[in-house]
Order: sequence, then structure tokens, then C-alpha cells
Amino acid sequence: MKLLSPALATASVFIGLTLGPVACGKEGEASVPSRPELALPRSTGFDYVPPEPGTYTLPVIRNAADGNVLDTSGKSASLRHLTQGRITVLSFIYTRCASANACPRATGMLKQVHRLSEQDAALADALRLVTLSFDPVHDTPERMRHYAAWSQTKKAAAEWCFLTTPSQEALAPILTAYDQEVDRRANMNDPLGPYFHPVRVYLIDREGRIRNIYSFGTLDPRLVVTDVRTLLLEEKQRVAENR
Amino acid sequence: MPAHLPRDRALSLGATLILGALCLAPGARSDETCMSPYMAKITGQEEYVYVWTLGVEGLGDGSDKLVTVDANPASPNYGKVVHSYSVGGRHEAHHGGFTDDRRHMWLAGLDSSKIFIFEVKSQPSRPQFVKVLDNFAKETGGAVGPHGAYALPGRMLVPCLSNSRDHDGRTALVEYSNEGRYLATHWLPTDADPRGASIDKLADGYGYDARVLPRKNVLLSSSFTGWSNYMMDFGKMAQDPEAMKRFGQTMVLWDFHARKPKQVFHVPGAPLEIRWANGDKHNYAFTATALGSKLWLVYEDDKGQWQAKAVGDIGEPSKMPLPVDISLSADDSTLFVSCFGDGKVRVIDVSNPHQPRLIHEQVIGRQVNMVSQSWDGKRLYFTSSLLANWDKRGDDNEQFIKAYTWNGSALKPQFAVDFKSAKLGRPHHMLFGSSKLYSSEEKAKVTASK
Repeated sequence: MKLLSPALATASVFIGLTLGPVACGKEGEASVPSRPELALPRSTGFDYVPPEPGTYTLPVIRNAADGNVLDTSGKSASLRHLTQGRITVLSFIYTRCASANACPRATGMLKQVHRLSEQDAALADALRLVTLSFDPVHDTPERMRHYAAWSQTKKAAAEWCFLTTPSQEALAPILTAYDQEVDRRANMNDPLGPYFHPVRVYLIDREGRIRNIYSFGTLDPRLVVTDVRTLLLEEKQRVAENR
Repeated sequence: MPAHLPRDRALSLGATLILGALCLAPGARSDETCMSPYMAKITGQEEYVYVWTLGVEGLGDGSDKLVTVDANPASPNYGKVVHSYSVGGRHEAHHGGFTDDRRHMWLAGLDSSKIFIFEVKSQPSRPQFVKVLDNFAKETGGAVGPHGAYALPGRMLVPCLSNSRDHDGRTALVEYSNEGRYLATHWLPTDADPRGASIDKLADGYGYDARVLPRKNVLLSSSFTGWSNYMMDFGKMAQDPEAMKRFGQTMVLWDFHARKPKQVFHVPGAPLEIRWANGDKHNYAFTATALGSKLWLVYEDDKGQWQAKAVGDIGEPSKMPLPVDISLSADDSTLFVSCFGDGKVRVIDVSNPHQPRLIHEQVIGRQVNMVSQSWDGKRLYFTSSLLANWDKRGDDNEQFIKAYTWNGSALKPQFAVDFKSAKLGRPHHMLFGSSKLYSSEEKAKVTASK
């Protein structure tokens, strides 16, 4: 696969977001189809029909960890605050990544989910996307603001927060808690970027519990949205049982 | 279909070949070809072969152990054991696997159902024991006999062989987080409880291997036998007609994301290892039946339906060659089948998976079990032990790891380690390691600490 320069890699995947109290995007208009994700075509990499939401369970893997993060305005925030209250899809990236199957792919998938939420108000209301950089030296709040500018949309959609950390010291416990490995390449000027890492995107329920982990091979927006719907059905069932 | 596969070439037992320079290739290329598709990749030459080894009473410390063999031809220790870690006791060490980030190695015991976790990133030449999962049967709701560990994103899939209720072959697939936290148990479908699957002929609920084809969202599992058989003396079992009935006859195709069985194929004769093809449009997998001595193909037909069929014999089935492990080349052209019964490896051209052709066969030892190959297909490694109570006796009970190069027509020996002389035990599963997987900073830390 042809390698993209970092600029092209990031440029290929985004629309922007509107700023809010923690510099996240805003939500909700009336939606149209019940499952817009099914309109996405099958591809060589995702050549199947996704399962029906609610026909399977997503076990709790562990609690999503807290950490000190910065939004695109440089304001400090609690990561836990941003992974509770809504169903969250959290992606670890760094903007210098030019490995097509890594960070650009992960962000591209989030973009597709974001776009799907434009068509589904309930999805948009329930969902928050979080993109968190593990390269705090390069990915400053300003840099993340640039990165986020590509994710702007003219339609209401799910919240999408772009975050970084104030320092490596603040970042390290987050990476450990999320079991996200990040290694430096021997050549820090490698055209693919200075770091290599397993791609990990996390699905977190409203209570802040990790319920699924996606990686290369499973970054299918249809599956991610199906999982979100599965969690929503689970919530509904819990409410019904508690009556 | 001929009674046995036609041969294209004469056997050739060549002289020893010294390996050339390392071939370093950046980018995402896998190492040995049977690894989980979710795993981090090795680039270039493997540096180590980790061998999960059964202890033998009266041999050395008698304990199961993780043995590290230097596999780098440029190393002064090439072909030698550079590290060994005994876990204490004999657990019927069998199979294992890396986590998706390749930091940890999970190694399982079929008898005790313990899983030993090692950290390999800090010092790839000397894996460090981290902890043992020792509550498997209780946590999983009765699954026992963890048959290895298969990396999924952020978690491990552990296919099992048996259950704690009757120790027969009814069993499950189990999931744990990478940290070792139990997540879920998925029981194989049975006739009484098909769990929504369509059944060709029968659903025995047995398990063995489990492999994912992510782009089709399918998982395929196979079937062997339960604890009451695999821990029994082989000779005694072979004389027991009731025991011999208790072998797997099925493969199950699952909706991987939903963890739901969809189809149960009838594959008689104990289908064991599964290998999915690697090509983007190659929607098929191979398995070999140990008791049936047949090569089977599970494939998606032109109507998008999954089928299973036998595509050829492996050796002379009446002579019980016992094919036990297979390894498919990265380009999907060549399948190596190791046969415990006659100690041979059979090399099969599977360029057309529906019409395989035998192209080479060669004796590796008096018994042979596991086969692992490098991604470039140039190097193969074999080990000898099947199960402690099934390994041959007397002089036939050779215990080794043997390394070969493959030039397309013959296997040429490179090195061998006699595990009996070295007082190590019965070598079984192999996994590859390389320091090049990890950052230069980690290597610098290790160097500085010496």
C-alpha cells in the first residue's frame, strides 16, 4: 500500500468540530434511517454482513482509566469525565503517523462513525468520539486543534473530542492503564513516523467500562456502530428489568 | 481423486547449507505464518525459537519449561539453548501464543489447565515469568484443557479440549483480557444445544484449534478428544473401542464478532490444526485429520456459502501416518504436513487448494509433531513431542528441535538440539522471537543493565 506523508494522511480523513466546554463537538438533529451503517458497502477488508445489534453480549473488559488531558484550547480535563455519561469510542493516535493501516485508518474509521451519527439523532445523542494523542511533545493543543479542524461538519453529529496530554509523565499512566504499547522506531525520521504501536480503539459504556477493543482487521465502522447499538439495547433492557 | 497424491519430484536429502546474510525488511510482514492476524509482526530473520517443553520424570529437573533456542545464524550461539525457565511441575505443556502486542507469551498446560504468562519484550533472549492463571476450570464454568492461546485485539482466545464434569471432549472457547482477567466462555454447539448453528450431520461439541479470518468475520474451530483420552496411555486407548469413539468429527464456522456458531461441518477423523490462507481473496482454510489421514478444505463457494470437503489423502491412510500439524506458506502455495506416525514431513503444492499435489516428503525423525516456518518460507523448524502418554517408546522416543532450510525442492538440516541429552524434556510448541520487534530504547536499557 502506498505510504502517505503525515500531512496527506491526516488530510485524507477529517472534517472539523465545534468547540464546547471541553472543546468537543455538539450533537442532535432529527435523523432518517434506522441503521445507516448498513448502507456502507462491503469491502475486501470487511466482506461480511454485520450481526444484528443485541444478538450478542459485550463483556466488561476493565474500567476505563482516568488521566490528565488537555483539550484543543489547552484546558485541562479529566479523561474519566470524557469516557462516562455517553458511550465513548476512544482512539489513541499521533498526528505524525503515516502508516496507512495505523492512525490514519483509525481516525478514518471514527470519521465514518461521525458521519453515520449525522443521520441518526439517537446515535448522535448517545455517542462521544475521543481522539487522544500519545505524542504530547509534537501534538500540542494547537496541533490537535489543526487536526480537529478537518472534522468539521455542517450537520449535527456526535461529540468528538481531540485531546493530548501536558507531558510524557501525564501520558505514561494512561497508556499503561489502557495497555496501549508505544515504541520508538530506531530511526526517528522514519517516513512512517517516529513511533510504532498496535492500533487500539476502545468502546466504553456510559459507566466508563471498556466493552470492546478494535484493532487492525476490526476497524469496521459498521461493527463499531452495531456495538454501540448493542449497548443501547442493553441499557434499555436493564431499565425494563428494573421497573 | 487418486488414492494418494502424485509426486512431482524425487526425494532429495541435500548437504548442510549455511544460511546467508540476514534479510531485513521494514514494514508489516509477519513471521511464522500461523500467527494470529492481529499480532505485531517480526521483520526479517527470527532470532529465537521459544519451545514450550514438557518435563520428564527423572530427566533434569523433571519440570515443564520454556526453552529459548538461538535461531540467528549470525549469532555465536546459533542453534544452542540460551535460556530455560522451569515452571515447576508437569502440566502437560502443550501450546501457547503471544498477546497482540507481542509483549507477553501465554503457555498452557492440558492437564493442570494452568496458563503461564511470560514477558518477552524486555529481554527477548530470556523471557521473564510474570504469573500463572490457576483457576481456569472454576472461572470458565467448567472448561478445561486450554489448548493454547490466540491473540485477539486486547485479549486472548483460549480454545479448550475438555470439561471438568466428565472429562470428555465437550468443551468451549474461552476469552481472557491481556491482563489475565476472565471475560467469557463460548461452548461448542452440540446436537442437544446447537446454539443456532446448522448441522451437517452431528455436533459433538468438541474443540481443538480456533482461527479467525477477520475480513470475512468468521472463526473456524476444529475437534480432537477430551482429557480422559489425551491423558491416557496411547496403547491402552488404542485397544479401547469406546475410547476410540470419542474423537472429534466436526469443524464449526462461527460469526466471529457475535461469537455465534453458524455451521457445523462433518469432518471425521479428528481435524486438528487450522490454517487460513493469507491472500486477500483466498477465502479458505486447510486442516488435516489425524485419524483419517486426509487433507480437508473449508472454503467459501461462488454462491457465498461455506463448504467443507476432503481434497486428498496424506500418505497411505491404512498405514496411519498420523498428520498432526500443518504450516501454510505466506503465499498460500505450499503446505507442510508433519506426520507423527512415520516421522515424515510431506510438502504439498496447494496453489490450487482443490487439487493439492505432493511435491516432496522427507523423514525428520522417528516421531515428529510441530512444524513452524518463517514468513519468507526459507526456514522450517520441527519438534518431536505429541503428548507425554502418546509419544513413542524406546529408541523411537526421540526428542528434538530440528531446523531446516527449504529451497523449494528439499529440506536441508541446519541445526538440531537433542532435548533428552540436554535433560530438558519433550519439546512441543514453538514461537518465534526477535529483539527487532521492540524499540531501540528498550534494547539500550537492556544493554546498559548488563
